[in-house]
Amino acid sequence: MTAIMATDFPLLSLLLFTPLAGALMCLVIGAANGTNARWVALITAGIVFVLSLVLCLLQTPAAGWLLYEDYSWIENFGIRYTLGLDGLSSVLILLTAFLQVLAVLVSWRQNHAPAIFFALLLILETAAIGVLLALDLILFYLFWELMLIPMFFLIGVWGYKRRFYAAVKFFLFTLIGSLCLLLAVISLYLLHGEQTGVYTFALEALKQTELSGTQELIFFLCFMAAFVVKVPLFPFHSWLPDAHAEGPAAGSVDLAGLLLKTGVYGMIRFAFPLFPVAAQKTMPILAVLALVGLFYAAWVAFQQIDIKRIVAYSSISHMGFVILGLAAWNQTAWEGSVLLMVNHAVTTAGLFAVVAMIEQRTGTRALDQLGGMWKSHPNMSAFFLLFCMASLGLPGLANFAGEILILIGVFTVKPLWAIIAVVGILFSAVYTLRLVQGTLWGSSCEPHDKQDLVPREWLVLIPLAVLVVLLGCYPQPVLELLREPVSSLLMSGGLP
Amino acid sequence: MDILLILILLLPLAGGVINACFGSRMPQPVPVFIACGAVIGSFLACLGSLTLAAGDGYRLVLFTWLKSGNFQADIGLLYDPLAAIMTLMVTGVASLIHLYAAGYMEDEPDQVRFFALLNLFVFAMLTIVLADNLLLLFLGWEGVGFCSYGLIGFWYRKTENADAGRKAFIVTRIGDLFFAVALLWLFALFGTISIEGINAQVSGLEVTTVTMISLLLLFGACGKSAQVPLMSWLADAMAGPTPVSALIHAATMVTAGVYLLCRMFPLVSLSSTAMAAIALVGIVTALYAATCALAQNEIKRVLAYSTMSQVGYMFLAVGLGSVSAAMFHLLTHAFFKALLFMTAGCLINLAGHENDIRRMGGMRQRSPLVFWLFLAGLLCLAGAPLTSGFFSKDLILATAFAHGDPFHLGLYGLGVMVAGLTSFYCFRLAYLVFAGDFRGDELPHEPSALMLWPLYPLAILGLTAGLLNLPHLFSGGSWLSGWLGRTQDVLHLSISIEYLLIGTAIAVFVLGWLLAALRYRKYSERQPSLVGEFLLNGWRVDDLFDLLLVRPFKKIGRFCSQGVEAGLIEGVLNGAARGCTDLGMRLRGLADGKVSAYLQGLVWGFVLIVGWFLLRALV
Repeated sequence: MTAIMATDFPLLSLLLFTPLAGALMCLVIGAANGTNARWVALITAGIVFVLSLVLCLLQTPAAGWLLYEDYSWIENFGIRYTLGLDGLSSVLILLTAFLQVLAVLVSWRQNHAPAIFFALLLILETAAIGVLLALDLILFYLFWELMLIPMFFLIGVWGYKRRFYAAVKFFLFTLIGSLCLLLAVISLYLLHGEQTGVYTFALEALKQTELSGTQELIFFLCFMAAFVVKVPLFPFHSWLPDAHAEGPAAGSVDLAGLLLKTGVYGMIRFAFPLFPVAAQKTMPILAVLALVGLFYAAWVAFQQIDIKRIVAYSSISHMGFVILGLAAWNQTAWEGSVLLMVNHAVTTAGLFAVVAMIEQRTGTRALDQLGGMWKSHPNMSAFFLLFCMASLGLPGLANFAGEILILIGVFTVKPLWAIIAVVGILFSAVYTLRLVQGTLWGSSCEPHDKQDLVPREWLVLIPLAVLVVLLGCYPQPVLELLREPVSSLLMSGGLP
Repeated sequence: MDILLILILLLPLAGGVINACFGSRMPQPVPVFIACGAVIGSFLACLGSLTLAAGDGYRLVLFTWLKSGNFQADIGLLYDPLAAIMTLMVTGVASLIHLYAAGYMEDEPDQVRFFALLNLFVFAMLTIVLADNLLLLFLGWEGVGFCSYGLIGFWYRKTENADAGRKAFIVTRIGDLFFAVALLWLFALFGTISIEGINAQVSGLEVTTVTMISLLLLFGACGKSAQVPLMSWLADAMAGPTPVSALIHAATMVTAGVYLLCRMFPLVSLSSTAMAAIALVGIVTALYAATCALAQNEIKRVLAYSTMSQVGYMFLAVGLGSVSAAMFHLLTHAFFKALLFMTAGCLINLAGHENDIRRMGGMRQRSPLVFWLFLAGLLCLAGAPLTSGFFSKDLILATAFAHGDPFHLGLYGLGVMVAGLTSFYCFRLAYLVFAGDFRGDELPHEPSALMLWPLYPLAILGLTAGLLNLPHLFSGGSWLSGWLGRTQDVLHLSISIEYLLIGTAIAVFVLGWLLAALRYRKYSERQPSLVGEFLLNGWRVDDLFDLLLVRPFKKIGRFCSQGVEAGLIEGVLNGAARGCTDLGMRLRGLADGKVSAYLQGLVWGFVLIVGWFLLRALV
């Protein structure tokens, strides 16, 4: 395993631990003064963003790792500290870092123990980046679990009324999935050790393990248990609406932008390449669940009153699309899936940000009490309309680019799946327009706060809006970064 | 030259984006200037680049939009004679409508949003027209859907308006789905989505496949063009401001479906089944909408149904295999229908913002000028001899007649009937609006000069556009067919048959007029009859859709959210949670701190273990 860029400087570790250092700074400097904590968080997130942007720009569309770090860690058990960065991880890390800056800005006015709040946000960022970089299964698992803890507290402490219920639900769901993952990882490690005499958790080595059909299937299902819960795939989704509805705005941005992505990433980086035969055997099941979820979530979204829940369910519906793309198992569909994942994160982050702003001004999130926001808050409403249109898949805006690639990839393999999924686009229009109708149009509710966007909010929304348009009209840079990694992952998973 | 071609698209886009982003920060008339300037500039650019299109056309690829695996979609333009004539019409009519709108929306506080959307609409429409591949065409296709959504619901304070916008978006999107599937299928077959690439390769295809794809495209076209069965959004779309009705629901967007079928004609025409289906959809819609128009009470709704009906004629023409007849009628219709809508806007103002023709009457006295303009439009629509509508409609009917077989003769017969109905409802409208005395009580609101003068060019075009494709009988050279490179569409009928067809057309026109004059020259209050009510509500198609689609959708939604989500999934989860708690409670009972219980357990455990070992030793 060689890296393309030969450098001794541990750039990846720097990237990984900068947020953690920021979190400590937050706690130390910000304990007395909330403003300090905010600035520390913002600057840290900014540095990480710049770093990851530089790493993205350095990428050449070639196979292999751009950067690679490998140190021995716990030698007795063959656990190593292995990080690798390729196009796929750098795109997702850039997304993570970008959204994290916005998450900090969105929760700028957080007054309840801000130092701890921002520290948790930064710890979450370290964990997410770690998941996207780790190539040693124990290291991966460590970061995977580390994501759980800050999120649990973010929801459970800074959330709304039923926050504790939501936090516990989130925790239990993901924990049960993760434990399956841990079990499978350890068994795989032992099995590999018995076969070869080399006890290691390295991803590349474990890919060579020889497994019987049943073994492979069981391991695969255990891995998937962790990942489908995180995605979340129908019917393992029920923690997400609660987590969104009860969590703080930044929590929602992070959930949609960071956490959900790791599920899909885990599938294509770990589960599929490790257990290709089982993966391909179970693909139809995955596709069916994805399709059912796509429609089911749309229908449920159509019935919701709480606008944050509508966005949450739309998230589930879109993730159904992503998973369907994975199930098609070809280059176009996979690139589409990852692209949609990125685009959906940006769109949804925008939606959650505006929803938070609407709630701040009107004191409600109930669709039947809202209406006519365009009259009182035209700028905010314009952003909301843009994000909604992106979300319902208007061509030229972000989500469409991913969706059409998925559809094309799927159609070449299974035309019927694609045709069914096309109908899903109509469904997204139905519930999204209901959302727009209930908030922007109609006669006005009386918002107590007549203030349209303040500078800080402009700062959040403009980058998101620009990205939504840019990713819709010219997603080529992202697709080029994805090309080689996706094709090599497909290869290692074995083309059908 | 490339730059001119790019400017055609870029100017409306830039105008829309600039207005959307910065319009509200600019002093009042500036956004309007930008919007009008952008479209007029686009029109001039189109005029300037017209020579490029002649013959084989011109191709220009700007950049790659999406590329993945072997799929590639470019932002590329195909500027051929068909696209050029359409671009010229769209930008020309849109320029006039923009100017009109500048007058019409003078007092509107939210002007900027209006003009931004109007510009974006023109951009999206031009994208449909100029796209060289189906995905880019789809971008424009959905783009016009969004813009019309925003424009129909422009006065969003009234929920009905916003609802009408949403209905238009969703119903046309149903059609879009079929288009999308056709696109996916075509890519799977040919490995390309370029329009020319597909059209060049179709000859090798199986007929059933062609039929299926063509039917998918037809359904897609039905959505945007408000044809049966996806027509019900158009009449409601009249909730939008009048310039919107003129631009979107008369001149451009509703013709997008016809244009798509013309664009994909080499594919579509391979399947005679599909062609028959297109012709049938066209004639059924023409008939349906003409009957609905008979009973409408709102001036704009009459015009909306007439649009649907006329677009039906265009579909019929495509189904008959005559691209030039379809395009000819598309062009003439764009002129006179835009004229009619904009004059209707003036009339509504003159009647004191009254939409209902039962409360008009005597409008001729209020403004003779508007009367003549509106009459010019109506005559074209009714197919009065020598107006443009007469020639273009006649070409379609003659083409049907020329086919000669019973199916096409039947289409011809129905087409003539629709022409009679058209003449009837046109003159009904004319008599109700202009004859007698004014029946309302509002004071007139004079239209500004800016609203009037764009009407003159349209009136002239409407009356004379027949010259574009004048048949041999009138010593014309069928210029349009020549320009489109479709000389096979030019009919060569014997003189006697030509005279017979023209005679029939005139007779039907006069008949419709006379009947309307008999019934409506003198206004009388009428109790709405059952049939009238049925026609007024568009054959109650909305109720049918409500019953078949909307209610089941909502029911399933309720089932999912209340039954499955809240009941089943939450139930299972809470059950599991309760199960855990219960188990914990039971287990807690074991460790309740009573020493006697522990001792009991100890003894029993000891007995069990010892018993076990004894048993093993013995057996």
